[in-house]
Amino acid sequence: MALGENKTYTIPIGPVHVGLKEPITAWLQVDGERIVDVRIRPGAIHRGIEYMARERNPIQVIYLAERICGICSFAHIISFVRAVEDAAGIPVPSRAKYIRTILLELERIHSHILWAGVACYTFGYDSAFNLGMLLREKVMDVLEAMTGNRVNYGVGTVGGVRRDITPKVADAIKEMLDYYNREFSYFYNAATEDPIVKARMRDIGVLSYEDAVRYCAVGPTARASGLRTDLRWSSPYEAYGDLEVEPIVPQDYFGKARGDIFDRFFVRVMEVYQSLEIIKKCMDGLPEGPIMHEPKPAKLLNILKDADGVGQSSIEAPRGDDTHVIRLKKGEENVTWWKVRAPTYANAMSWPIMFKNQEIADAPLIINSIDPCISCMERVLVVDEKGSSSVATKEELIKMCRDKTRRLMRR
Amino acid sequence: MHKAMLNVVAKSLEEFKSSLEKKFGDKIHNVEVRGRVAGKQDEVSFYDVWISCRKDDLEELVEFLFSFDFPIFHVMSGDDIGNAVLLNYHFSLFSGAGRGKRIGVVLSVEVPKEDLVMPSLYDKIPGIEYSEREMHEMLGVSFNGLPNQSLVFLPENWDEKVHPWRRDDSGLSPKHIRELS
Repeated sequence: MALGENKTYTIPIGPVHVGLKEPITAWLQVDGERIVDVRIRPGAIHRGIEYMARERNPIQVIYLAERICGICSFAHIISFVRAVEDAAGIPVPSRAKYIRTILLELERIHSHILWAGVACYTFGYDSAFNLGMLLREKVMDVLEAMTGNRVNYGVGTVGGVRRDITPKVADAIKEMLDYYNREFSYFYNAATEDPIVKARMRDIGVLSYEDAVRYCAVGPTARASGLRTDLRWSSPYEAYGDLEVEPIVPQDYFGKARGDIFDRFFVRVMEVYQSLEIIKKCMDGLPEGPIMHEPKPAKLLNILKDADGVGQSSIEAPRGDDTHVIRLKKGEENVTWWKVRAPTYANAMSWPIMFKNQEIADAPLIINSIDPCISCMERVLVVDEKGSSSVATKEELIKMCRDKTRRLMRR
Repeated sequence: MHKAMLNVVAKSLEEFKSSLEKKFGDKIHNVEVRGRVAGKQDEVSFYDVWISCRKDDLEELVEFLFSFDFPIFHVMSGDDIGNAVLLNYHFSLFSGAGRGKRIGVVLSVEVPKEDLVMPSLYDKIPGIEYSEREMHEMLGVSFNGLPNQSLVFLPENWDEKVHPWRRDDSGLSPKHIRELS
Protein backbone atom coordinates (compact mmCIF):
# COMPACT_ATOMS: atom_id res chain seq x y z
CA MET A 1 0.00 0.00 0.00
CA ALA A 2 1.19 3.48 -0.72
CA LEU A 3 2.50 4.99 2.52
CA GLY A 4 0.42 2.60 4.56
CA GLU A 5 -2.80 3.97 3.14
CA ASN A 6 -5.48 1.95 1.45
CA LYS A 7 -5.15 3.88 -1.75
CA THR A 8 -4.22 3.23 -5.34
CA TYR A 9 -3.05 5.59 -8.06
CA THR A 10 -4.00 5.70 -11.71
CA ILE A 11 -1.47 5.74 -14.50
CA PRO A 12 -2.77 6.11 -18.04
CA ILE A 13 -0.67 4.65 -20.84
CA GLY A 14 -1.55 5.90 -24.28
CA PRO A 15 -3.56 6.97 -26.32
CA VAL A 16 -1.78 5.79 -29.32
CA HIS A 17 -0.44 5.74 -32.77
CA VAL A 18 -2.31 5.79 -36.07
CA GLY A 19 -0.58 2.66 -37.33
CA LEU A 20 -3.01 0.40 -35.50
CA LYS A 21 -6.68 -0.03 -36.12
CA GLU A 22 -7.06 -0.23 -32.37
CA PRO A 23 -5.34 2.69 -30.73
CA ILE A 24 -5.44 1.97 -27.03
CA THR A 25 -5.24 3.78 -23.74
CA ALA A 26 -4.60 1.67 -20.66
CA TRP A 27 -5.46 3.14 -17.26
CA LEU A 28 -3.37 1.25 -14.73
CA GLN A 29 -4.49 1.24 -11.10
CA VAL A 30 -1.25 0.92 -9.17
CA ASP A 31 -0.41 0.23 -5.58
CA GLY A 32 3.25 1.16 -5.34
CA GLU A 33 4.91 -0.72 -8.18
CA ARG A 34 2.17 -3.33 -8.38
CA ILE A 35 -0.67 -3.09 -10.92
CA VAL A 36 -3.97 -3.97 -9.25
CA ASP A 37 -6.44 -3.21 -11.99
CA VAL A 38 -6.59 -2.00 -15.56
CA ARG A 39 -9.12 -0.22 -17.67
CA ILE A 40 -8.64 -0.22 -21.42
CA ARG A 41 -10.05 2.52 -23.62
CA PRO A 42 -9.48 2.16 -27.36
CA GLY A 43 -10.74 4.62 -29.92
CA ALA A 44 -8.36 7.54 -29.70
CA ILE A 45 -7.99 7.48 -33.45
CA HIS A 46 -10.91 5.52 -34.79
CA ARG A 47 -10.76 6.54 -38.43
CA GLY A 48 -14.20 5.37 -39.48
CA ILE A 49 -12.73 3.26 -42.26
CA GLU A 50 -15.80 1.02 -42.35
CA TYR A 51 -18.01 4.07 -42.85
CA MET A 52 -15.73 5.43 -45.57
CA ALA A 53 -16.13 2.17 -47.49
CA ARG A 54 -19.80 2.93 -48.07
CA GLU A 55 -18.78 5.49 -50.67
CA ARG A 56 -16.36 3.23 -52.50
CA ASN A 57 -16.61 0.20 -54.76
CA PRO A 58 -15.01 -3.09 -53.64
CA ILE A 59 -11.88 -2.54 -55.75
CA GLN A 60 -11.32 0.87 -54.17
CA VAL A 61 -11.90 -0.60 -50.72
CA ILE A 62 -9.00 -3.01 -51.28
CA TYR A 63 -6.65 -0.04 -51.03
CA LEU A 64 -8.49 1.25 -48.00
CA ALA A 65 -8.27 -2.18 -46.33
CA GLU A 66 -4.57 -2.28 -47.06
CA ARG A 67 -4.12 0.86 -45.00
CA ILE A 68 -5.73 -0.55 -41.86
CA CYS A 69 -2.33 -1.86 -40.83
CA GLY A 70 1.15 -1.28 -42.16
CA ILE A 71 2.57 -4.63 -41.12
CA CYS A 72 -0.21 -7.10 -41.86
CA SER A 73 -1.64 -5.12 -44.77
CA PHE A 74 -1.71 -8.15 -47.03
CA ALA A 75 -3.57 -10.23 -44.44
CA HIS A 76 -6.25 -7.52 -44.30
CA ILE A 77 -6.76 -7.32 -48.04
CA ILE A 78 -6.81 -11.09 -48.43
CA SER A 79 -9.42 -11.33 -45.71
CA PHE A 80 -11.36 -8.54 -47.40
CA VAL A 81 -11.22 -9.97 -50.92
CA ARG A 82 -12.11 -13.41 -49.60
CA ALA A 83 -15.23 -11.93 -48.03
CA VAL A 84 -16.08 -10.28 -51.36
CA GLU A 85 -15.43 -13.55 -53.20
CA ASP A 86 -17.71 -15.30 -50.71
CA ALA A 87 -20.49 -12.74 -51.21
CA ALA A 88 -20.18 -12.65 -55.01
CA GLY A 89 -19.22 -16.29 -55.62
CA ILE A 90 -16.00 -15.50 -57.48
CA PRO A 91 -13.50 -18.36 -57.88
CA VAL A 92 -9.73 -17.93 -57.49
CA PRO A 93 -7.22 -19.64 -59.81
CA SER A 94 -4.87 -22.14 -58.13
CA ARG A 95 -1.71 -20.22 -58.90
CA ALA A 96 -3.15 -17.10 -57.27
CA LYS A 97 -4.00 -19.12 -54.15
CA TYR A 98 -0.39 -20.23 -53.89
CA ILE A 99 1.00 -16.75 -54.47
CA ARG A 100 -1.37 -15.39 -51.82
CA THR A 101 -0.18 -18.03 -49.39
CA ILE A 102 3.48 -17.26 -50.09
CA LEU A 103 2.87 -13.55 -49.53
CA LEU A 104 0.90 -14.20 -46.34
CA GLU A 105 3.76 -16.29 -44.98
CA LEU A 106 6.41 -13.75 -46.02
CA GLU A 107 4.39 -11.18 -44.14
CA ARG A 108 4.21 -13.44 -41.11
CA ILE A 109 8.01 -13.84 -41.11
CA HIS A 110 8.37 -10.08 -41.39
CA SER A 111 5.87 -9.42 -38.60
CA HIS A 112 7.19 -12.05 -36.18
CA ILE A 113 10.87 -11.12 -36.58
CA LEU A 114 10.02 -7.45 -36.19
CA TRP A 115 7.98 -8.17 -33.07
CA ALA A 116 10.58 -10.44 -31.49
CA GLY A 117 13.25 -7.82 -32.09
CA VAL A 118 11.14 -5.03 -30.67
CA ALA A 119 10.26 -7.14 -27.61
CA CYS A 120 13.98 -7.55 -26.92
CA TYR A 121 14.48 -3.82 -27.43
CA THR A 122 11.72 -3.04 -24.94
CA PHE A 123 13.64 -4.59 -22.08
CA GLY A 124 17.00 -3.32 -23.23
CA TYR A 125 18.47 -6.29 -25.08
CA ASP A 126 19.70 -4.20 -27.97
CA SER A 127 22.02 -6.83 -29.47
CA ALA A 128 19.06 -9.14 -30.11
CA PHE A 129 17.03 -6.19 -31.40
CA ASN A 130 19.73 -5.28 -33.91
CA LEU A 131 20.10 -8.90 -34.93
CA GLY A 132 16.35 -9.09 -35.49
CA MET A 133 16.31 -5.93 -37.59
CA LEU A 134 19.22 -7.25 -39.63
CA LEU A 135 17.42 -10.53 -40.28
CA ARG A 136 14.17 -8.80 -41.18
CA GLU A 137 15.81 -6.88 -44.03
CA LYS A 138 16.04 -10.06 -46.10
CA VAL A 139 12.31 -10.71 -46.15
CA MET A 140 11.66 -7.03 -46.86
CA ASP A 141 13.98 -7.30 -49.87
CA VAL A 142 12.06 -10.30 -51.15
CA LEU A 143 8.72 -8.53 -50.65
CA GLU A 144 10.10 -5.57 -52.55
CA ALA A 145 11.39 -7.76 -55.37
CA MET A 146 8.03 -9.48 -55.60
CA THR A 147 5.68 -6.51 -55.32
CA GLY A 148 7.71 -3.33 -55.70
CA ASN A 149 6.95 -2.18 -52.16
CA ARG A 150 8.27 -2.89 -48.69
CA VAL A 151 4.87 -2.29 -47.06
CA ASN A 152 1.36 -1.92 -48.56
CA TYR A 153 2.16 -4.13 -51.51
CA GLY A 154 -0.92 -3.32 -53.58
CA VAL A 155 -0.92 -6.72 -55.28
CA GLY A 156 -4.15 -8.30 -54.10
CA THR A 157 -7.37 -8.13 -56.07
CA VAL A 158 -10.76 -9.80 -56.05
CA GLY A 159 -10.38 -13.20 -57.70
CA GLY A 160 -6.59 -13.38 -57.69
CA VAL A 161 -3.37 -11.43 -57.36
CA ARG A 162 -1.85 -8.75 -59.57
CA ARG A 163 1.79 -9.85 -59.61
CA ASP A 164 3.18 -13.18 -60.68
CA ILE A 165 6.24 -14.94 -59.33
CA THR A 166 8.89 -14.53 -62.02
CA PRO A 167 11.95 -16.82 -62.18
CA LYS A 168 14.02 -13.95 -60.74
CA VAL A 169 11.69 -13.62 -57.75
CA ALA A 170 11.67 -17.39 -57.30
CA ASP A 171 15.47 -17.27 -57.03
CA ALA A 172 15.25 -14.46 -54.48
CA ILE A 173 12.80 -16.49 -52.38
CA LYS A 174 15.03 -19.55 -52.58
CA GLU A 175 18.02 -17.53 -51.49
CA MET A 176 15.99 -16.07 -48.61
CA LEU A 177 15.00 -19.54 -47.42
CA ASP A 178 18.66 -20.62 -47.40
CA TYR A 179 19.62 -17.43 -45.59
CA TYR A 180 17.05 -17.87 -42.81
CA ASN A 181 17.70 -21.57 -42.40
CA ARG A 182 21.35 -20.66 -41.92
CA GLU A 183 21.09 -17.44 -39.90
CA PHE A 184 17.85 -17.46 -37.91
CA SER A 185 19.15 -19.89 -35.29
CA TYR A 186 21.58 -17.18 -34.07
CA PHE A 187 18.65 -15.00 -33.15
CA TYR A 188 16.71 -17.94 -31.77
CA ASN A 189 19.61 -18.94 -29.50
CA ALA A 190 20.49 -15.38 -28.50
CA ALA A 191 16.90 -14.65 -27.56
CA THR A 192 15.62 -17.87 -26.02
CA GLU A 193 18.74 -19.17 -24.23
CA ASP A 194 19.60 -15.96 -22.43
CA PRO A 195 18.87 -16.14 -18.67
CA ILE A 196 17.94 -12.45 -18.45
CA VAL A 197 15.44 -12.85 -21.29
CA LYS A 198 13.86 -15.70 -19.39
CA ALA A 199 13.81 -13.67 -16.16
CA ARG A 200 12.02 -10.81 -17.93
CA MET A 201 9.48 -12.97 -19.74
CA ARG A 202 8.86 -16.12 -17.74
CA ASP A 203 5.66 -16.02 -15.66
CA ILE A 204 5.04 -12.37 -16.56
CA GLY A 205 1.71 -11.28 -18.06
CA VAL A 206 0.10 -14.69 -17.71
CA LEU A 207 -3.13 -15.50 -19.54
CA SER A 208 -4.58 -18.84 -18.45
CA TYR A 209 -6.12 -21.35 -20.84
CA GLU A 210 -9.62 -20.76 -19.45
CA ASP A 211 -9.36 -16.98 -19.74
CA ALA A 212 -7.98 -17.23 -23.27
CA VAL A 213 -11.06 -19.27 -24.25
CA ARG A 214 -13.55 -17.04 -22.42
CA TYR A 215 -12.09 -13.81 -23.76
CA CYS A 216 -11.75 -15.37 -27.23
CA ALA A 217 -8.04 -14.62 -27.58
CA VAL A 218 -6.61 -15.29 -31.03
CA GLY A 219 -3.39 -16.17 -32.81
CA PRO A 220 -0.04 -16.56 -31.03
CA THR A 221 -1.57 -15.07 -27.86
CA ALA A 222 -4.14 -17.90 -27.72
CA ARG A 223 -1.67 -20.59 -28.73
CA ALA A 224 0.79 -19.48 -26.04
CA SER A 225 -1.98 -20.11 -23.50
CA GLY A 226 -2.26 -23.67 -24.78
CA LEU A 227 -5.21 -23.37 -27.18
CA ARG A 228 -4.56 -25.63 -30.12
CA THR A 229 -6.11 -23.33 -32.69
CA ASP A 230 -4.92 -22.02 -36.00
CA LEU A 231 -7.28 -21.14 -38.82
CA ARG A 232 -4.75 -22.46 -41.33
CA TRP A 233 -5.33 -25.84 -39.71
CA SER A 234 -8.92 -25.78 -38.43
CA SER A 235 -10.38 -24.26 -41.60
CA PRO A 236 -7.85 -24.34 -44.44
CA TYR A 237 -8.12 -21.60 -47.05
CA GLU A 238 -6.11 -20.70 -50.17
CA ALA A 239 -3.18 -23.13 -50.57
CA TYR A 240 -3.39 -24.37 -46.97
CA GLY A 241 -5.93 -26.88 -48.28
CA ASP A 242 -2.98 -28.75 -49.80
CA LEU A 243 -0.58 -28.21 -46.90
CA GLU A 244 -0.41 -29.74 -43.46
CA VAL A 245 -0.03 -26.90 -40.98
CA GLU A 246 -0.01 -27.85 -37.31
CA PRO A 247 -0.67 -25.21 -34.66
CA ILE A 248 2.46 -24.43 -32.64
CA VAL A 249 1.67 -24.69 -28.94
CA PRO A 250 4.17 -24.57 -26.06
CA GLN A 251 2.93 -27.81 -24.44
CA ASP A 252 4.38 -29.73 -27.39
CA TYR A 253 7.84 -28.37 -26.53
CA PHE A 254 7.88 -27.82 -22.76
CA GLY A 255 5.22 -30.28 -21.59
CA LYS A 256 2.83 -27.51 -20.58
CA ALA A 257 1.72 -24.07 -21.67
CA ARG A 258 2.24 -21.31 -19.13
CA GLY A 259 0.63 -18.56 -21.18
CA ASP A 260 3.29 -16.02 -20.22
CA ILE A 261 5.23 -13.60 -22.38
CA PHE A 262 8.00 -16.13 -22.96
CA ASP A 263 5.50 -18.58 -24.43
CA ARG A 264 4.13 -15.86 -26.70
CA PHE A 265 7.70 -15.09 -27.76
CA PHE A 266 8.51 -18.75 -28.30
CA VAL A 267 5.38 -19.45 -30.37
CA ARG A 268 6.18 -16.57 -32.71
CA VAL A 269 9.82 -17.58 -33.11
CA MET A 270 8.83 -21.17 -33.95
CA GLU A 271 6.23 -19.90 -36.39
CA VAL A 272 9.00 -18.27 -38.38
CA TYR A 273 10.47 -21.73 -39.00
CA GLN A 274 7.01 -23.03 -39.86
CA SER A 275 6.47 -20.21 -42.37
CA LEU A 276 9.81 -20.98 -44.05
CA GLU A 277 8.67 -24.55 -44.52
CA ILE A 278 5.28 -23.49 -45.92
CA ILE A 279 6.93 -21.13 -48.41
CA LYS A 280 9.25 -23.91 -49.54
CA LYS A 281 6.33 -26.29 -50.08
CA CYS A 282 4.35 -23.63 -51.96
CA MET A 283 7.31 -22.89 -54.23
CA ASP A 284 7.79 -26.60 -54.93
CA GLY A 285 4.12 -27.14 -55.70
CA LEU A 286 3.41 -23.82 -57.43
CA PRO A 287 0.82 -24.61 -60.14
CA GLU A 288 0.91 -23.03 -63.58
CA GLY A 289 -1.95 -20.99 -64.96
CA PRO A 290 -3.64 -17.60 -64.74
CA ILE A 291 -3.34 -15.43 -61.64
CA MET A 292 -6.64 -13.59 -61.95
CA HIS A 293 -10.22 -14.69 -62.47
CA GLU A 294 -10.97 -11.49 -64.37
CA PRO A 295 -8.00 -9.32 -65.37
CA LYS A 296 -10.11 -6.42 -66.71
CA PRO A 297 -11.09 -4.15 -63.80
CA ALA A 298 -14.16 -2.73 -65.58
CA LYS A 299 -15.52 -6.23 -66.22
CA LEU A 300 -14.76 -7.27 -62.66
CA LEU A 301 -16.62 -4.22 -61.32
CA ASN A 302 -19.62 -5.24 -63.43
CA ILE A 303 -19.59 -8.71 -61.91
CA LEU A 304 -19.40 -7.16 -58.44
CA LYS A 305 -22.25 -4.78 -59.24
CA ASP A 306 -24.45 -7.77 -60.02
CA ALA A 307 -23.55 -9.58 -56.82
CA ASP A 308 -25.98 -9.72 -53.94
CA GLY A 309 -25.15 -11.16 -50.55
CA VAL A 310 -23.13 -11.14 -47.37
CA GLY A 311 -19.66 -12.64 -47.26
CA GLN A 312 -17.39 -13.50 -44.38
CA SER A 313 -13.76 -14.41 -44.16
CA SER A 314 -11.57 -15.29 -41.20
CA ILE A 315 -7.91 -15.86 -41.88
CA GLU A 316 -4.86 -16.38 -39.70
CA ALA A 317 -2.99 -13.06 -39.83
CA PRO A 318 0.40 -12.83 -38.06
CA ARG A 319 -1.34 -11.62 -34.88
CA GLY A 320 -4.28 -13.98 -35.12
CA ASP A 321 -7.73 -14.32 -36.61
CA ASP A 322 -8.54 -11.42 -38.92
CA THR A 323 -12.24 -11.33 -39.78
CA HIS A 324 -13.91 -9.27 -42.48
CA VAL A 325 -17.63 -9.25 -43.26
CA ILE A 326 -19.08 -7.48 -46.25
CA ARG A 327 -22.50 -6.82 -47.79
CA LEU A 328 -22.95 -6.24 -51.50
CA LYS A 329 -26.31 -5.25 -53.00
CA LYS A 330 -27.35 -6.00 -56.54
CA GLY A 331 -27.32 -2.92 -58.72
CA GLU A 332 -25.19 -0.92 -56.32
CA GLU A 333 -21.63 -0.13 -57.19
CA ASN A 334 -20.50 0.63 -53.67
CA VAL A 335 -20.04 -1.57 -50.67
CA THR A 336 -23.24 -1.50 -48.57
CA TRP A 337 -21.48 -2.16 -45.30
CA TRP A 338 -18.23 -3.66 -44.15
CA LYS A 339 -17.03 -4.88 -40.78
CA VAL A 340 -13.39 -5.43 -39.88
CA ARG A 341 -12.24 -7.29 -36.79
CA ALA A 342 -8.47 -7.08 -36.59
CA PRO A 343 -6.75 -9.50 -34.18
CA THR A 344 -5.91 -6.86 -31.59
CA TYR A 345 -9.62 -6.09 -31.19
CA ALA A 346 -9.97 -9.60 -29.77
CA ASN A 347 -6.71 -9.77 -27.85
CA ALA A 348 -7.09 -6.38 -26.18
CA MET A 349 -9.90 -7.78 -24.05
CA SER A 350 -7.41 -10.16 -22.44
CA TRP A 351 -5.06 -7.33 -21.48
CA PRO A 352 -6.63 -6.51 -18.09
CA ILE A 353 -6.04 -10.12 -16.98
CA MET A 354 -2.42 -10.09 -18.08
CA PHE A 355 -1.70 -6.87 -16.17
CA LYS A 356 -3.02 -7.92 -12.77
CA ASN A 357 -0.37 -8.13 -10.03
CA GLN A 358 2.45 -7.22 -12.38
CA GLU A 359 4.97 -4.41 -11.95
CA ILE A 360 4.71 -1.10 -13.81
CA ALA A 361 8.13 -1.82 -15.32
CA ASP A 362 6.62 -4.88 -17.00
CA ALA A 363 3.69 -2.93 -18.46
CA PRO A 364 5.44 -2.01 -21.73
CA LEU A 365 6.38 -5.64 -22.29
CA ILE A 366 2.88 -6.89 -21.47
CA ILE A 367 1.31 -4.38 -23.83
CA ASN A 368 3.85 -5.42 -26.42
CA SER A 369 3.34 -9.13 -25.88
CA ILE A 370 0.10 -9.38 -27.84
CA ASP A 371 1.90 -7.55 -30.67
CA PRO A 372 0.14 -4.24 -31.05
CA CYS A 373 2.19 -1.18 -32.01
CA ILE A 374 4.84 -0.07 -29.51
CA SER A 375 4.23 3.55 -30.47
CA CYS A 376 1.13 3.38 -28.27
CA MET A 377 3.64 4.26 -25.55
CA GLU A 378 4.28 7.66 -27.07
CA ARG A 379 2.62 9.73 -24.32
CA VAL A 380 2.16 8.71 -20.72
CA LEU A 381 0.57 10.85 -18.04
CA VAL A 382 1.86 9.98 -14.57
CA VAL A 383 -0.18 11.24 -11.63
CA ASP A 384 2.00 11.30 -8.50
CA GLU A 385 0.98 11.04 -4.85
CA LYS A 386 0.52 14.78 -4.42
CA GLY A 387 -2.03 14.79 -7.19
CA SER A 388 0.09 16.81 -9.58
CA SER A 389 0.64 15.35 -12.99
CA SER A 390 3.52 15.21 -15.40
CA VAL A 391 3.88 13.72 -18.83
CA ALA A 392 6.38 10.89 -19.12
CA THR A 393 7.65 10.20 -22.58
CA LYS A 394 8.09 6.86 -24.26
CA GLU A 395 11.84 7.16 -23.56
CA GLU A 396 11.28 7.51 -19.82
CA LEU A 397 8.97 4.53 -19.67
CA ILE A 398 11.35 2.42 -21.69
CA LYS A 399 14.14 3.55 -19.36
CA MET A 400 12.14 2.21 -16.40
CA CYS A 401 11.73 -1.07 -18.20
CA ARG A 402 15.44 -1.26 -19.01
CA ASP A 403 16.52 -0.29 -15.51
CA LYS A 404 14.75 -3.37 -14.26
CA THR A 405 16.82 -5.51 -16.61
CA ARG A 406 20.01 -3.84 -15.35
CA ARG A 407 18.97 -4.54 -11.75
CA LEU A 408 18.42 -8.19 -12.61
CA MET A 409 21.81 -8.40 -14.30
CA ARG A 410 23.60 -7.04 -11.23
CA ARG A 411 22.22 -9.76 -9.03
CA MET B 1 -21.04 -20.56 -16.31
CA HIS B 2 -20.01 -22.84 -19.13
CA LYS B 3 -16.77 -24.74 -19.07
CA ALA B 4 -14.07 -22.72 -20.80
CA MET B 5 -12.60 -25.45 -22.88
CA LEU B 6 -12.28 -26.18 -26.56
CA ASN B 7 -13.75 -29.49 -27.58
CA VAL B 8 -11.15 -31.74 -29.18
CA VAL B 9 -13.72 -34.01 -30.82
CA ALA B 10 -15.78 -32.42 -33.56
CA LYS B 11 -19.28 -33.27 -34.67
CA SER B 12 -19.94 -33.39 -38.38
CA LEU B 13 -21.87 -30.71 -40.21
CA GLU B 14 -24.75 -33.16 -40.81
CA GLU B 15 -25.05 -33.93 -37.09
CA PHE B 16 -25.00 -30.24 -36.25
CA LYS B 17 -27.58 -29.41 -38.88
CA SER B 18 -29.98 -32.20 -38.04
CA SER B 19 -29.97 -31.47 -34.31
CA LEU B 20 -30.43 -27.77 -35.12
CA GLU B 21 -33.49 -28.54 -37.22
CA LYS B 22 -34.80 -31.03 -34.69
CA LYS B 23 -34.52 -28.61 -31.80
CA PHE B 24 -35.59 -25.38 -33.47
CA GLY B 25 -37.66 -26.41 -36.47
CA ASP B 26 -39.79 -23.45 -37.54
CA LYS B 27 -38.20 -21.05 -35.07
CA ILE B 28 -35.28 -20.53 -37.42
CA HIS B 29 -35.51 -19.56 -41.04
CA ASN B 30 -32.98 -19.38 -43.85
CA VAL B 31 -30.37 -21.89 -42.79
CA GLU B 32 -27.70 -21.54 -45.42
CA VAL B 33 -24.68 -23.85 -45.54
CA ARG B 34 -21.69 -22.66 -47.50
CA GLY B 35 -18.83 -24.99 -48.31
CA ARG B 36 -15.61 -23.00 -48.52
CA VAL B 37 -13.03 -24.32 -50.94
CA ALA B 38 -9.24 -24.38 -50.83
CA GLY B 39 -6.26 -25.91 -52.60
CA LYS B 40 -5.54 -26.86 -56.18
CA GLN B 41 -8.61 -29.08 -56.52
CA ASP B 42 -11.03 -26.53 -55.03
CA GLU B 43 -12.15 -29.09 -52.46
CA VAL B 44 -14.49 -28.05 -49.69
CA SER B 45 -12.24 -27.58 -46.66
CA PHE B 46 -14.73 -26.25 -44.08
CA TYR B 47 -18.27 -24.91 -43.74
CA ASP B 48 -19.96 -21.68 -42.77
CA VAL B 49 -23.56 -21.93 -41.57
CA TRP B 50 -25.72 -18.81 -41.74
CA ILE B 51 -28.82 -18.94 -39.54
CA SER B 52 -31.55 -16.29 -39.31
CA CYS B 53 -33.50 -16.34 -36.10
CA ARG B 54 -35.87 -14.24 -34.05
CA LYS B 55 -34.50 -11.94 -31.40
CA ASP B 56 -36.16 -13.94 -28.59
CA ASP B 57 -34.55 -17.20 -29.70
CA LEU B 58 -30.98 -15.92 -29.79
CA GLU B 59 -30.03 -16.90 -26.26
CA GLU B 60 -31.43 -20.39 -26.69
CA LEU B 61 -29.49 -20.77 -29.93
CA VAL B 62 -26.27 -19.71 -28.21
CA GLU B 63 -26.97 -22.25 -25.45
CA PHE B 64 -27.43 -24.80 -28.21
CA LEU B 65 -24.00 -23.89 -29.62
CA PHE B 66 -22.53 -24.40 -26.13
CA SER B 67 -23.81 -27.98 -26.16
CA PHE B 68 -21.30 -28.70 -28.97
CA ASP B 69 -18.27 -26.62 -28.02
CA PHE B 70 -17.30 -23.27 -26.52
CA PRO B 71 -18.43 -20.96 -29.35
CA ILE B 72 -15.40 -18.79 -30.05
CA PHE B 73 -16.76 -15.35 -30.85
CA HIS B 74 -15.27 -13.43 -33.78
CA VAL B 75 -17.25 -10.23 -34.14
CA MET B 76 -20.67 -8.76 -34.56
CA SER B 77 -21.53 -7.04 -37.83
CA GLY B 78 -24.60 -4.98 -38.43
CA ASP B 79 -26.55 -2.52 -40.49
CA ASP B 80 -29.57 -0.25 -40.41
CA ILE B 81 -32.13 -1.94 -42.70
CA GLY B 82 -34.98 0.54 -42.44
CA ASN B 83 -37.42 -0.37 -39.67
CA ALA B 84 -34.95 -2.67 -37.94
CA VAL B 85 -31.29 -3.02 -37.13
CA LEU B 86 -29.64 -6.18 -38.42
CA LEU B 87 -27.09 -7.88 -36.19
CA ASN B 88 -24.93 -10.80 -37.27
CA TYR B 89 -23.15 -12.74 -34.53
CA HIS B 90 -20.14 -14.56 -35.95
CA PHE B 91 -19.03 -17.66 -34.02
CA SER B 92 -16.79 -20.65 -34.57
CA LEU B 93 -17.39 -24.18 -33.35
CA PHE B 94 -14.70 -26.85 -33.16
CA SER B 95 -11.85 -24.45 -33.82
CA GLY B 96 -9.52 -26.70 -31.81
CA ALA B 97 -10.84 -30.07 -32.92
CA GLY B 98 -8.65 -30.96 -35.86
CA ARG B 99 -7.81 -30.13 -39.42
CA GLY B 100 -10.77 -28.78 -41.38
CA LYS B 101 -13.16 -29.36 -38.48
CA ARG B 102 -14.13 -25.76 -37.76
CA ILE B 103 -17.71 -24.76 -38.50
CA GLY B 104 -18.37 -21.05 -38.79
CA VAL B 105 -21.79 -20.20 -37.38
CA VAL B 106 -23.46 -16.86 -38.06
CA LEU B 107 -26.65 -15.95 -36.20
CA SER B 108 -28.58 -13.13 -37.87
CA VAL B 109 -31.13 -11.21 -35.87
CA GLU B 110 -33.31 -8.29 -36.86
CA VAL B 111 -33.92 -5.95 -33.93
CA PRO B 112 -36.98 -3.73 -34.49
CA LYS B 113 -36.27 -0.04 -34.07
CA GLU B 114 -39.07 0.54 -31.58
CA ASP B 115 -37.36 -1.81 -29.14
CA LEU B 116 -33.61 -1.73 -29.73
CA VAL B 117 -32.67 -3.99 -26.85
CA MET B 118 -30.89 -7.33 -26.98
CA PRO B 119 -29.92 -9.70 -24.18
CA SER B 120 -26.18 -9.44 -23.53
CA LEU B 121 -24.07 -12.56 -23.96
CA TYR B 122 -21.31 -11.11 -21.76
CA ASP B 123 -21.96 -13.54 -18.89
CA LYS B 124 -21.45 -16.52 -21.15
CA ILE B 125 -18.74 -15.13 -23.44
CA PRO B 126 -16.84 -12.17 -21.94
CA GLY B 127 -14.96 -11.81 -25.24
CA ILE B 128 -18.10 -10.28 -26.72
CA GLU B 129 -17.75 -7.05 -24.72
CA TYR B 130 -16.19 -4.78 -27.36
CA SER B 131 -18.59 -5.91 -30.07
CA GLU B 132 -21.67 -5.26 -27.94
CA ARG B 133 -20.31 -1.86 -26.96
CA GLU B 134 -19.49 -1.14 -30.59
CA MET B 135 -22.99 -2.04 -31.77
CA HIS B 136 -24.34 0.12 -28.95
CA GLU B 137 -22.46 3.22 -30.02
CA MET B 138 -22.55 2.68 -33.79
CA LEU B 139 -26.12 1.42 -34.23
CA GLY B 140 -27.84 2.32 -30.96
CA VAL B 141 -28.71 -1.20 -29.81
CA SER B 142 -28.48 -1.60 -26.04
CA PHE B 143 -27.55 -4.85 -24.41
CA ASN B 144 -29.33 -5.98 -21.29
CA GLY B 145 -26.82 -7.21 -18.74
CA LEU B 146 -23.68 -5.70 -20.24
CA PRO B 147 -21.89 -4.05 -17.28
CA ASN B 148 -19.97 -1.42 -19.24
CA GLN B 149 -22.03 0.32 -21.93
CA SER B 150 -19.71 3.29 -22.38
CA LEU B 151 -18.21 4.31 -25.68
CA VAL B 152 -15.44 2.14 -26.96
CA PHE B 153 -14.25 3.46 -30.31
CA LEU B 154 -15.83 6.90 -30.57
CA PRO B 155 -14.12 9.96 -29.04
CA GLU B 156 -14.67 10.91 -25.38
CA ASN B 157 -16.72 13.99 -26.26
CA TRP B 158 -18.98 12.25 -28.77
CA ASP B 159 -22.73 12.96 -28.59
CA GLU B 160 -24.09 9.55 -27.62
CA LYS B 161 -27.39 10.20 -29.37
CA VAL B 162 -25.62 10.08 -32.72
CA HIS B 163 -25.06 6.58 -34.07
CA PRO B 164 -22.68 6.75 -37.06
CA TRP B 165 -23.83 3.59 -38.84
CA ARG B 166 -27.54 4.41 -38.76
CA ARG B 167 -29.13 5.50 -42.02
CA ASP B 168 -31.97 7.48 -40.40
CA ASP B 169 -32.14 10.74 -38.43
CA SER B 170 -29.93 9.47 -35.64
CA GLY B 171 -27.09 8.85 -38.10
CA LEU B 172 -24.34 11.23 -39.08
CA SER B 173 -25.08 14.70 -40.39
CA PRO B 174 -22.67 16.62 -42.66
CA LYS B 175 -21.20 18.47 -39.68
CA HIS B 176 -19.75 15.19 -38.39
CA ILE B 177 -17.91 14.42 -41.58
CA ARG B 178 -14.65 16.06 -42.44
CA GLU B 179 -13.77 15.66 -46.10
CA LEU B 180 -10.08 15.64 -46.82
CA SER B 181 -9.35 17.53 -50.06
